[in-house]
Amino acid sequence: MTHPMIQFDKVLKAYGALQVLKDLDFSVDNGEVVSIIGPSGSGKTTVLRVLMTLEGIQGGTMYVNGEPLNKMNVDGQLVDASKAHIRRIRSKIGMVFQSFNLFPHMTALDNCNESPIHTQGKSKAEATEESMRLLEMVGLAEKANHYPSQLSGGQQQRVAIARTLAMHPEILLFDEPTSALDPEMVGEVLEVIRDLAKSGDYTMLLVTHQMGFAREVSDRVCFFDGGKMVEQGKPDDLFGNPQHDRLKQFLSKVLEAG
Amino acid sequence: MKEPGPTNGPGNTKHLRGMSMNRIAIVSALIAFLVGMTFATFSEMRVFLPAILKGAVVTVQVSILSIALFLFMSVISGIGRLSANRPIRWASIFYIEVFRGTSLLVILFWMFFVMPEFGVTLSPMVAGVTAIGLNFGAYGAEVVRGAIAAVPKGQTEATIALNMAPYKRLTRIVLPQAIAIMIPGMSNLTIELIKATALVSAVTLVDITYAAVQQNQLHYRTVEIFFITMLLYYVFAQFVRFGGEALEEHYTRHLSKRV
Amino acid sequence: MDWRWDFTFDVVLPKMWQAAGVTIWATVASFAFALVGGLILMLLKTNRSAWISRPATELIEFIRATPLLVQIFFLFFLLPEIGLTLPPLTTGILAIGIYNSALCAEVYRAGFQAVPKGQWEACTALNMSTYRTFRDVIIPQSLPPIVPALGNYLVAIFKETPLLSFVAVAEIMQVSKLIGAEYYRFTEAITIAGIFFLVMSLIAAFGIRLVENYVKRSILH
Repeated sequence: MTHPMIQFDKVLKAYGALQVLKDLDFSVDNGEVVSIIGPSGSGKTTVLRVLMTLEGIQGGTMYVNGEPLNKMNVDGQLVDASKAHIRRIRSKIGMVFQSFNLFPHMTALDNCNESPIHTQGKSKAEATEESMRLLEMVGLAEKANHYPSQLSGGQQQRVAIARTLAMHPEILLFDEPTSALDPEMVGEVLEVIRDLAKSGDYTMLLVTHQMGFAREVSDRVCFFDGGKMVEQGKPDDLFGNPQHDRLKQFLSKVLEAG
Repeated sequence: MKEPGPTNGPGNTKHLRGMSMNRIAIVSALIAFLVGMTFATFSEMRVFLPAILKGAVVTVQVSILSIALFLFMSVISGIGRLSANRPIRWASIFYIEVFRGTSLLVILFWMFFVMPEFGVTLSPMVAGVTAIGLNFGAYGAEVVRGAIAAVPKGQTEATIALNMAPYKRLTRIVLPQAIAIMIPGMSNLTIELIKATALVSAVTLVDITYAAVQQNQLHYRTVEIFFITMLLYYVFAQFVRFGGEALEEHYTRHLSKRV
Repeated sequence: MDWRWDFTFDVVLPKMWQAAGVTIWATVASFAFALVGGLILMLLKTNRSAWISRPATELIEFIRATPLLVQIFFLFFLLPEIGLTLPPLTTGILAIGIYNSALCAEVYRAGFQAVPKGQWEACTALNMSTYRTFRDVIIPQSLPPIVPALGNYLVAIFKETPLLSFVAVAEIMQVSKLIGAEYYRFTEAITIAGIFFLVMSLIAAFGIRLVENYVKRSILH
């Protein structure tokens, strides 16, 4: 029996009276690359943040590869998950942040080594070997001993991607990974993400404002507005032949802005 | 390939180093002045300077021991204040509020005069160090708490995304960055603490202040005696300030461009 | 340990009641002195002439870097020598006032500096007089950081007044020591002194929060 890799079942997220996600049903298959687009305040980033357990939800259940994340099975009943359970399921998910969130007091290499050594219990030599391979992959092997403050924004984001890959996630979440970058650095980061998407090794969920990139790399694009998924489909269908007025308006505004 | 060389913006480092050099110059000048004055008015000073310097030794002893207790209590209760564990959090809040809310002298007298009623008789030194350390620890707790809270939220989020255990999160990511933030506040409190050691003269410890009062009652050289007394405290304060700046430079050398 | 309630009520509390008045008077008077003194020191420190601003800066630094207790003793011994014989309470208020003037000067300065430079420039661009600039633009914006900081110094001064017991001013601490020495019982008096400071500090902290919120609401909307 195959499960979707990610499944949201009537997920409700609210800040007080403000509902950010309204009974969201949503799923992503294993190996699928899905982009989420939408205006600000549409709840698109919240989808990633609740899945990463950065924020709690008020209702519904999230599943990762068929296993509940915010709940757990006890004698056939779904009860609120223990911290240990959340940590076990969460180990499958990695996240790349808009503002990188590298640890400023550690070198690029130490950033990558942190999780393998201190949560997976790998030896330093083993972790370093793998981290160097990952830094090589993102084109920054020679910057391994540099601190984040010595790297450009684009380089920092590539280190952050390597750091995330070092924890061997099955799911990669990208939260507007190029929004905080100067325009000339966007390309180098997108290139790395493109390679990851093509590899087919990861289930990827990407929140982005780069419509062209979303169209290029995604298997599916979802349009969010007002805490709901309004429309989804293959990139060419969604961008080429939008159905809902809200999506049409959104796309025309985005294209107008260039 | 660029070697991982000096990390700060060069201007920043120079600026800091310039300030430190300035401090060293001021402190050295003061010490030279102090020694010079000793010789210039040798006959006058000879009478009371040894007693005051003997007091200075006591002040330094009390200061060092109190600072150790102060740092310990600050960190313990500052972290405890943010603990998810309710009894630990409440105990920390209780300690912080009580020892910040009362006056140091009251705490000192309480240690010295009331503790014996409970069967615990403290020597003047122990009473002084305990009172000062506990009092300043309560203030330091707020500095530690504020510094931990000032570590950007994204750092904690990154540790969650990397699936790190809460205790590793604190010791490996949050505290190392919080230390850099708390140094100026803690160094200011340390200076205040050294000044506050003057109060131990109330429980019969002969520190600089006590010695100065004694010597003044013997010799009536108010201006000289108190000028030297204040100068000594001033020099101690400058040493702490200098040390604090050096530490801050050390801890922030990679953090110049916060991200 | 034994706590004697009759002793507490018959001896300690009546004496402490009077002493509390002295403590509060010393606090208020020193604070008033510091408010004005701090303003003067701040104006000297920010004076355009380096001949005035440098010495003022160094004086502030020196006052801040030396213990208040030493300054109290210094004034206590010095004033009579130069022919000024004042009651110990007055001398003490003077010492605490001067010490806190140096601290308040920094509060004022930081408050004015916190107003963005663009606000000054806008006032110049609108051709406003210096008086109008301060009254209508700078002071209203610098009050929100200044007021709570000054409030904290009021509480700090309150907790500094026990130092006056060193020069035999009959404030709370001195009176509880005297009671202890007279009756060989320290527990009740010193504990009550502690509770007095704790309760007053908590009330003051609450009051500062109220004033802080009021200032924030009424000036910055």
